[in-house]
Amino acid sequence: MPGGTGPSPALWGLGPLRPHGAWDGSSVGLGIATHPGVVPFVALLLLQRRPVAGRALLVNGPGCPGNSLCRANVHEQTRKQVALLNATAQDLFSLYLKCQGEPFSSESDKLCSPSGIFFPAFHVNRTSEKKEVMVAMYKLFAFLNASLGNITRDQEELNPTAKELLDRLHNTTKTTRGLISNLTCLLCKNYNVFQVDVSYGESSKGKSTFKKKQQGCQVLRKYVQVIAQAARILLPHLSPV
Amino acid sequence: MRKNPSLRCLLALAILCLTSLVHSQEIGSPGDPQNLKCVTHNLRKMVCTWDVSSRRRHGQTDFCYTTIDHPLTECFKTKEKRVEIPVPESSTTIKITTNSISGTPFATREFEIRKKDISFIPLAPHILSLTPDFPTSTLTLKWSDNGSIFPYGLDAFWQIEILRKETMEKVTQVTYYSKLTHEDIILSWNWTSDMPLECTSHYVKIRCYINVTQFVGHKDWSDWSPVEESPGKDTEPHGSGVFPQDTVVAVGSDVTICCVHEEGQQIKRMTYGPEAYPLIRLSSRSSAIRVLNASASDTSGTNVVCSLSEDGMDGTVLFVGYAPDIPQNLSCETSNFELIKCTWKPGRPSGLYGKRGTKYSLFERISGKNVSCEVNEMNKERVCGFPVLADQKTYNFLLGVSNPIGQTEASLLVDISQRVHPKTPEKLTVSGNSSTSVHLRWFINGSFAEIRLLCQIEISNGHSEQKLHNVSMPGGKSSTYTAQLNTLHPYTKYWFRVRCSAADHFWRWSDWSRIEEHTTLEAPPARGPDIWRERSPSGKSLKIFWKPLSLSEANGKIVSHEVSCYLLEKPLEYKEVTEPSNSTEIKLGRNDCVVSVVAKNHAGSSPPSRITTVELPSDNVKTDRAVAMGNGIYISWNSYPNMTCGYIVKWCHSSGSEPCSVDWQKFPSNTTDAVIKSALFRPGVRYNFSLYGCKSSGYQLLKNITGYTKELPPKRAPNFTVEETSSDSILVKWEDMPIEDCQGFLEGYRLSFAKGEKDALKPRLLESGNPELKVKNITDLTKKSLKILDLQGKTSYQLDLQAYTAGGLSPPNSLYVVTKEDSVGLIIAILIPVAVVVLLGVVASIFCYRKREWIKETFYPEIPNPENSKALQFQKNICEGNKTLKTLEMNPCTPNSVEVVETRSAVPKIEDTEMMSPAADTVVPEDGSDSETENHVVVSYCPPIIEEEISNPPMDESVGSSQVVYIDIQSMYQPQIKPEEESEIDLVTTAGYKPQMQLPISALKIESRSPAEEESDKTAGYRPQANTNAWNMDTPDSPGSVESNNENASFGSPCSINSRQFLLPPKDDEDSPKPNNIGWSFTHFFQNKPND
Repeated sequence: MPGGTGPSPALWGLGPLRPHGAWDGSSVGLGIATHPGVVPFVALLLLQRRPVAGRALLVNGPGCPGNSLCRANVHEQTRKQVALLNATAQDLFSLYLKCQGEPFSSESDKLCSPSGIFFPAFHVNRTSEKKEVMVAMYKLFAFLNASLGNITRDQEELNPTAKELLDRLHNTTKTTRGLISNLTCLLCKNYNVFQVDVSYGESSKGKSTFKKKQQGCQVLRKYVQVIAQAARILLPHLSPV
Repeated sequence: MRKNPSLRCLLALAILCLTSLVHSQEIGSPGDPQNLKCVTHNLRKMVCTWDVSSRRRHGQTDFCYTTIDHPLTECFKTKEKRVEIPVPESSTTIKITTNSISGTPFATREFEIRKKDISFIPLAPHILSLTPDFPTSTLTLKWSDNGSIFPYGLDAFWQIEILRKETMEKVTQVTYYSKLTHEDIILSWNWTSDMPLECTSHYVKIRCYINVTQFVGHKDWSDWSPVEESPGKDTEPHGSGVFPQDTVVAVGSDVTICCVHEEGQQIKRMTYGPEAYPLIRLSSRSSAIRVLNASASDTSGTNVVCSLSEDGMDGTVLFVGYAPDIPQNLSCETSNFELIKCTWKPGRPSGLYGKRGTKYSLFERISGKNVSCEVNEMNKERVCGFPVLADQKTYNFLLGVSNPIGQTEASLLVDISQRVHPKTPEKLTVSGNSSTSVHLRWFINGSFAEIRLLCQIEISNGHSEQKLHNVSMPGGKSSTYTAQLNTLHPYTKYWFRVRCSAADHFWRWSDWSRIEEHTTLEAPPARGPDIWRERSPSGKSLKIFWKPLSLSEANGKIVSHEVSCYLLEKPLEYKEVTEPSNSTEIKLGRNDCVVSVVAKNHAGSSPPSRITTVELPSDNVKTDRAVAMGNGIYISWNSYPNMTCGYIVKWCHSSGSEPCSVDWQKFPSNTTDAVIKSALFRPGVRYNFSLYGCKSSGYQLLKNITGYTKELPPKRAPNFTVEETSSDSILVKWEDMPIEDCQGFLEGYRLSFAKGEKDALKPRLLESGNPELKVKNITDLTKKSLKILDLQGKTSYQLDLQAYTAGGLSPPNSLYVVTKEDSVGLIIAILIPVAVVVLLGVVASIFCYRKREWIKETFYPEIPNPENSKALQFQKNICEGNKTLKTLEMNPCTPNSVEVVETRSAVPKIEDTEMMSPAADTVVPEDGSDSETENHVVVSYCPPIIEEEISNPPMDESVGSSQVVYIDIQSMYQPQIKPEEESEIDLVTTAGYKPQMQLPISALKIESRSPAEEESDKTAGYRPQANTNAWNMDTPDSPGSVESNNENASFGSPCSINSRQFLLPPKDDEDSPKPNNIGWSFTHFFQNKPND
């Protein structure tokens, strides 16, 4: 994939992440319910440069693997992945709206208003600590990855003939998956963070078709907004040291 | 009716009779029981009720009844006015006695109740359940028919009424029929609402009518059952939404979609797709829209959005599509007798996808086995597999097709043994160590043990067409099959591929296997090479030629040829010539022998080819022309009976600098013509053929033939020259053309000529369409010259010569020739001017002779007489102020002539020149007689100028005022001055008056002037200050010039500063021919236009 957006094998299989595929709302792995409507999923436990042994909520091993797991170009690759997602987000959203039929395109402001849906908080800025930014990014893209999985599943059922939309959804999901892998690697390598609490949104499974369309629309609209912000914030942090 | 009393009486009577049917006999005394009515609900018992007419209080009533079939009277007391007694078979007699409170009977009445007086009204049905199915908007009603209380087989009619909304508006009323079975049966009835059940509450009630045909009494509907309710979402406290949810409807349906909202909200609008629809109010919390004739929706369905107050939005998706189409082209086959693959085309798309898409199932009727098919909606052709069942050959398939809108099916009866489509043969191998046969092996996956297979082997090589070879063989179970192929050609690369089908009942071929390549081994050449021989011109050596064998004849790679020469079986010469040479030379001297050539490859030698070297003598060998035919050359010859072993046509190919390569073709002895073809033949090339006849004793040259495969126009025209030209004829001569340039048999020449100058820009003669163009066609090829007659003298002609063949005309060769002038005219033209000149000379001589004294005195006096000097006379006249002299008139001051008076010089020769002034048209007579001088304007007198000249003493004292040199200011030519006087005059002109500008006269002298003189020109004397370039070319005689007050103003022409006359000649004079160019030259008479 141009720009090195393919999944990096850096930390593949480090934890029970679900970076791809649909999230059906059922409890997975070490899920701990923290608040209604959001299924928390402990992917990595945030440990800040402390010894892991015995303390960590172990997921799939005692902690970060060796530093050799990160590729040399992981910063560059991550930067390109974020840039690619930022560059393709608006087109994906527009195509999604087009494929849902009217009045999604004409009244997307009302129908796709993200209010009322869960979306991970992204309260970081350029002055935030690098680690804080990375963790927020991880939470954001883990959520997006699962949401994109849900949207892809719904659209495959609803719009099997919309090949371009499905291709874009698949590509975006793949890029997100690779990005999560690289973020995992960077968190582990730079901050010894190998567990992060991740919250996922409400599953669309079982909802009416209209609600599925609307939820996908809301998530993608929010994604367009947040990915632009993420690109602005993350890219300076990913500049070569 | 009121006006007709009789009609009223009849009506009253009828009512009375009707009343009597219901009621029994009545005795109208007070306190009597009356209005006895009996109604049965179950045909076994009836309820009889009556009234008591008196208002008097009474106690118990004695009720007795007697039936005919049961004569025993039964009595009982009752406080009510209602008893239940059995329904009589025919009639019953009832006696009702009303007792007082004390028990004393005070009124007794008897009634006879006949069967027809009894009414039958079933009890109201009881609704067991009313169940809504929201996704399908269906209400299911259940109730019991109470059939156990009725005899078997009665017809029951159930009237069901559907009501809607809070106001219980009637939606529909339907009648349901059932048959009573003497059992209590729970009946069920479904009703699908055109409005989603969530939209508002629906209500149902039911009543029945049992049709007892044997019952003679009055029958009626039962009462309505209590109303049963299916509550809508708008009755729930927080119920909201848009309904129906994710419903699939057929294209063209009418659909109602409602929006239920919470209390306090308002619906702003509802849209179906992009379009808003009018709202139909259902309740305070529910409204609906009605979409009529819905059109097919997009893949993702049609969105229905309900916009609520405060920007709330809710919606649903409606999927509008088609019922599945009947599958087309259903076909089933097996490739391996393990699985039957059925394919079909789905027909019109349903427009529904995903879980709403069309589902397929394959049901086999004989075995009763059913399989569901997983099909890809994106494929145009659907495929479904069904397992082959043991011991079953015939299959009766039913392909079921369904989607949420409808279903359909297609069926196919098939004998699977006749629908065999084997899989592609795999693992094809070719082996063999023979030059003519190979062995093929291939594998087919599948169980074909019960059938025979027919396999087709495609054999191809690079040279011939593909051949197909069919092989039939018994089938096996996942077996390897073999085949032997014979009669192949040696040393040939073959490509093989295989496909198979069922042998007995052909259905379809399998796909071709991959191609396998094999080359057969070599074999000895099949025949000897085709040979020819030619003796060298000296006759001492013999060159033997052979043609290479074709691939099919060589049977391998030819490595060499053995050439031997036998004389009576005795070998004279032997040579082995290796490839690729196809000829050799042997030294025979004058001997003859039989030459034998054998081709050899790695597998062996060919049979020998033999030819005798004997060449029989020929007489009168003619050369004929051949005819082109197609891309060959047709030649024919007479039949020669003694040529027993055929004919040979030999020719030679010549290509550029390479030596001629011999080719030949043999024909049987009965042949008399042939078309010789060769890939080497080229159009426009002459080929020479030699026809040899073959006898047992040797070969004899019969004739030579030349020809072209195609004649072309000659490459060029023959070179030609003009041999002779006269005033009316041109003789041209041309050369022969080389055969190579002819490109065909030359048929003639074409000479075209017309008047024309040599001009490259002119079109070619043949293309110009010149009407004077004349063409001469020369068909006599021996003729090499032509005289063109009847031409005009001294005229340029263009001549074009072309050669032509049957292929066309060559490009032309051109010449331009000018004919000579007519000599008589020339002589006349010469003689007349000569004669005139001579005559004029004689006249002039005579005149001069006669006037010699005057001439001498005037021009060459021995002592010049001032009296005769016109200049002095001129001066004198001035001084005397002779008014009669025209030249002294001031206006106009137009000089006619200047006469130079050389006072110092001993040579006063100054030529008078003619004045061309318009003011003095007078022509100066040639003789200078005094009598004529008065009218002769000789000098232009301009007093101020003279005064100025005089008043300005010259720098050189030796030069007086009389030294002024006057020149004719209108003549641009230097006065004729003797060379020895030139320097003096120059000195004078330098010191005295000088023209103030560079006159043309100066230009005449410029070559002889020294730089010093030029310098003196620059420094000495006065020059006009005017810009000569700005001079007006108008003559001073023009009004503007005359009126000018400024004497020194610039005139239109360079002029002496004191002169009003032009110093430059008028424009017209510039065009006049210069003296040097005047005159006629004799050379013009002899000047010919040059030829090219």
